[in-house]
Amino acid sequence: MFDLTNLSVHFGPATALREASLTIRPGDRLGIVGESGSGKSMLALCLMGMAPEAATLSGTLTIDGRDMAEATERDWQALRARRVAMIFQEPMAALNPLSRVGDTVMDPLRLHLGLSKQAARARALDLFAEVGIPDPAARLRQFPHELSGGQRQRVLIALALACDPDLLIADEPTTALDANVALRITDLLVRLSAERNMALLFISHDLAAVARATSDIAVMYGGDIVERGPTRAVLDSPAHPYTRGLLGARPSATSLPRDANGKRARLPTIPGTVPGMAELPKGCRFAGRCPVELPHCASERPALTKPGPDRSAICHVLSQEVSA
Amino acid sequence: MAYFLFRRTLGFVLTLLAVSVVVFAVMNILPGDPALTILGLDATEDALAALREQFGLNDPLLSRYFSWVGNALTGDFGTSHSFRVPVSELIAERLPMTISLAVAGMIFTVILALIMGIGAAANHRKAGDWGVMFLSQLGIAVPAFWLSMLLVLLFAVKLRWLPPGGFPGWSDPVAAMRALILPTVALGLVQSSVLARVTRSSALEVMRQDFVRTARATGFSRQRVLWRHVLPNALVPIVTIVGMQFAALVTGTIVIENVFYLPGLGRLIFQSIANRDLPTVQALVMLFAAIVVTANFIVDLLYVVIDPRLKARA
Repeated sequence: MFDLTNLSVHFGPATALREASLTIRPGDRLGIVGESGSGKSMLALCLMGMAPEAATLSGTLTIDGRDMAEATERDWQALRARRVAMIFQEPMAALNPLSRVGDTVMDPLRLHLGLSKQAARARALDLFAEVGIPDPAARLRQFPHELSGGQRQRVLIALALACDPDLLIADEPTTALDANVALRITDLLVRLSAERNMALLFISHDLAAVARATSDIAVMYGGDIVERGPTRAVLDSPAHPYTRGLLGARPSATSLPRDANGKRARLPTIPGTVPGMAELPKGCRFAGRCPVELPHCASERPALTKPGPDRSAICHVLSQEVSA
Repeated sequence: MAYFLFRRTLGFVLTLLAVSVVVFAVMNILPGDPALTILGLDATEDALAALREQFGLNDPLLSRYFSWVGNALTGDFGTSHSFRVPVSELIAERLPMTISLAVAGMIFTVILALIMGIGAAANHRKAGDWGVMFLSQLGIAVPAFWLSMLLVLLFAVKLRWLPPGGFPGWSDPVAAMRALILPTVALGLVQSSVLARVTRSSALEVMRQDFVRTARATGFSRQRVLWRHVLPNALVPIVTIVGMQFAALVTGTIVIENVFYLPGLGRLIFQSIANRDLPTVQALVMLFAAIVVTANFIVDLLYVVIDPRLKARA
């Protein structure tokens, strides 16, 4: 079990992640959505013990009850791959181009699990088959540049699964892939999570992929988790103004009204851009771009409110409605 | 792949041929009469003419070129004017010395440079990195012959740990290696300073790439990530520089062998130039050039061994 309590990440005066709290249990499928710079990748790196050296962390992160505050790089090395594994956005760049993909996948099997070369090879073949790579024996001997993007992502998933982790973090696993390949990879991750009772942390800005892959969702903006809840409930009736804006900005073939000339209206967007880490407002991070902003939003931090069963959000407008 | 090999081999042969033309032309256009040098200023015109005839200096340039190349291909580089023995014998006698020195220099250069360069990259913007950058700057700035003298003064004259020069031959391997230590360091230090910097910047570039993050995420130690993932991917620029440096090391032996009194090709070429020993100089220049061209040829082949993507394109 992975437990974050008020975890913050600072770079000098700038804040990349502010008091994030999350619990991930075996078999959980949690989605994290947000724009780039919202802190979602930072959250993932903290779970891997791979936050940049320049970052200062506060708050607590416990893994199976063990406080990781004092953990050394060596302690983390023992956890990576075995307890928590991660796959990254660019399958092209994420594999060593000079190493046969079979060797890449066999490396952790031999080093971490101490398997013999034959045993590691047999295990790699099983893994390739499990993640749906056709003709695994031939693929083992190939180099990354000889595989398609989807195949490479499957190799990376096989690598992440090699030491049977409890938690798989997928950081934008489908962003660089074709739409139909992306769907298949998403379904593969869901299937693996269910079959292995492995928790899945699915990070994406693609709401459709998150809806497909996860049962719970956390929406992030400017380093805050602004809204949490069951995926279906949050996407059907978003509570936080940012989540509403994010859902409104989703393109759809039918949802946009036509004007008098039969042209479709422009896609609604959230006005403005995400400010830099150092320029974020002190109170609610969304202040300045929020359509329903109150005078004290920019200066006071909103408290946690419960807009529905199993749901939470941080927003002054919502807390007013709830208390009213 | 076969086409790539054929193209590179053809290029290799053509380059050597071009080098032979240039070497021959330069040597035979240079002023200075070998006959006059050998017989001295008092020699009679008849004696000079006879010697020129004997050396074949009166034949047309083209036929002299072809007979030189033809003989050279069979290992016959003519007879040395000053030593009065076949040039091939002179070379055979001294080649092991120079090859030993150049190879030792190369090994020293590569090992030192990789450790320093990878170490600096691993400690980017920390004390270790600054230290390597400072030392390598110093290493590049120091001339090899001056460094040689400092090394001799310290380790041979003052501390008396190592011999100041000379070479006992490989029949006593320990003595031979001891004799090679100072020349190797003097020869390799400048080159390893350059190579350490190349290694550092190449490794830093690779360390920014995603697959290094993947390797870390797979729980490998920093050392393993560096040597197993970063170094191989940083090798292409390193091997390019090593190829060029091997040429510099081979030619660098000319200075080092003279400073340390080592009986190698470097000293031989120096003496032969002073003696206007045309066949010897010509053969040695050709040999040095051939070593350089061969080193570059090997580097070209190594690229394909290192990077499978190049093989697909080749």
